Amino acid sequence: MAATLDGLITFFASHHAIRADKVLRDAGFATELASGPKELSPNCGTALRFELSRTDDALAVLADRHVQVDEVHPYVPRTDAWDRSGSPVRRAKRLWGRRS
Amino acid sequence: MTIYFDNAATSWPKPPEVRVALDGYFGDVGGNPGRSGHRMSIAAARVVEDTRDRLAELLNVADPSRIVFTKNATEALNVAIYGTVGPGDHVVTTSFEHNSVMRPLRDLEARGVEVTTVGCYPDGTLDADDVRAALRPSTRLIAAVHGSNVNGALMPLTELAAIARTAEVPLLVDASQTAGAVPIDVAALGVDLLAFTGHKGLLGLTGTGGLYVREGLDITPLIRGGTGSLSDLEFQPDFMPDSLESGTLNVAGLIGLGAGVEYLLGLGVSRVQRHERELVSRFVEGVGEMEGVTEYGPKDLDQRCGVLSFNIAGLTCSEVGTLLDRDYSIMSRVGLHCAPGAHRTMRTFPIGTVRFGFGVFNTRDEVDAALEAIREMAAWAANDLAGIAGDNGRDA
Repeated sequence: MAATLDGLITFFASHHAIRADKVLRDAGFATELASGPKELSPNCGTALRFELSRTDDALAVLADRHVQVDEVHPYVPRTDAWDRSGSPVRRAKRLWGRRS
Repeated sequence: MTIYFDNAATSWPKPPEVRVALDGYFGDVGGNPGRSGHRMSIAAARVVEDTRDRLAELLNVADPSRIVFTKNATEALNVAIYGTVGPGDHVVTTSFEHNSVMRPLRDLEARGVEVTTVGCYPDGTLDADDVRAALRPSTRLIAAVHGSNVNGALMPLTELAAIARTAEVPLLVDASQTAGAVPIDVAALGVDLLAFTGHKGLLGLTGTGGLYVREGLDITPLIRGGTGSLSDLEFQPDFMPDSLESGTLNVAGLIGLGAGVEYLLGLGVSRVQRHERELVSRFVEGVGEMEGVTEYGPKDLDQRCGVLSFNIAGLTCSEVGTLLDRDYSIMSRVGLHCAPGAHRTMRTFPIGTVRFGFGVFNTRDEVDAALEAIREMAAWAANDLAGIAGDNGRDA
């Protein structure tokens, strides 16, 4: 993926997640629907990855389109580091080393 | 290649016969069943009644009119629960129920219905004597899931039915995971109410389900309206199936469901059960040898249907589900599966589990591929991920 999807929006219902994905994509945002991490929100099984640096813009677009949002989290799933053919540890350290 | 292990959510693929039958809907069966006298209405009514007849054969229901169609099992369970109990009544249920039973019961609890939730063992099995002990003179319903949608545990249906019969309390069975996958003979069992969905084991389409209501048991309709019968009266008919079947039915869906049930009648549900049990056995044996993998179902295969739950140490269920999909093309469902009570009983609340629901079209090779994937992920979690556990990028 070209954009760094380092943010995650959680929702109260998958209806909102799917709507948000459509609305944000139409507005030119890079997004990816993802399984909602239970440790962040028990509310909904579907969450939306996006670029955290564009949080304010994204929330404004969603509010404008009446899409209800639960919370926004800085989030890079550990599964991004899973690479069956490469070195998971190196990839993980590269990804998360940047954050610490 | 896609490996579809989410049959507990909805079955995929459907038999080719289902698609062929739907072609018939668009070609020949365009009318509204039971509303008009013209040939297209009659054609629609015929296919709906064919589906009812096939379901009656599958479940061994002598009078097909005792089966009413709903949009899903949830609606059927709501019809059964709200139609049988009211303020002052007492209901006995189990700690392994889906929210489609628990949410109506919690709502009724706030309106003066008393609810006793009998605890299951952590593996989902139930001591039927505990249900007997929970009965009171005011008990008006026993509601129990047949096969758990979380770990596949089967309830002791024969014993529960006997207890219900002796106490003269109706037994409501939620057969969402078992209809079409585990043989069910409502006549032999003496079940009073049985809710099923059309789009899982019965291999039909979403938007279909139904409720069997024993002869002699009258329940109050949840929804009233047009039935095509007694049109001169502004009162709901009191005869089945019209009493509980208001509004135009999902004819296209029911044609698909009829084809799915026909397929099962030809195959035999016992064969489906044997097949799914073999897959479960293969899976349980496979993960049993793996470090860091926990599987949560009953040890006794006879007490299980084709649904199972597991976790990999060091990974959340969401992470496992993501990897299974993204890197192995294996479809699973993760989380709490709309059954928080079951997870509390299994001690997997609130972390949840990864669920596989096997279906009639799954194969041993697919199970072996999943086992290999789980082995790789467990090794990754134990070796590589452990070193970076403190820096996992999660800002909770």
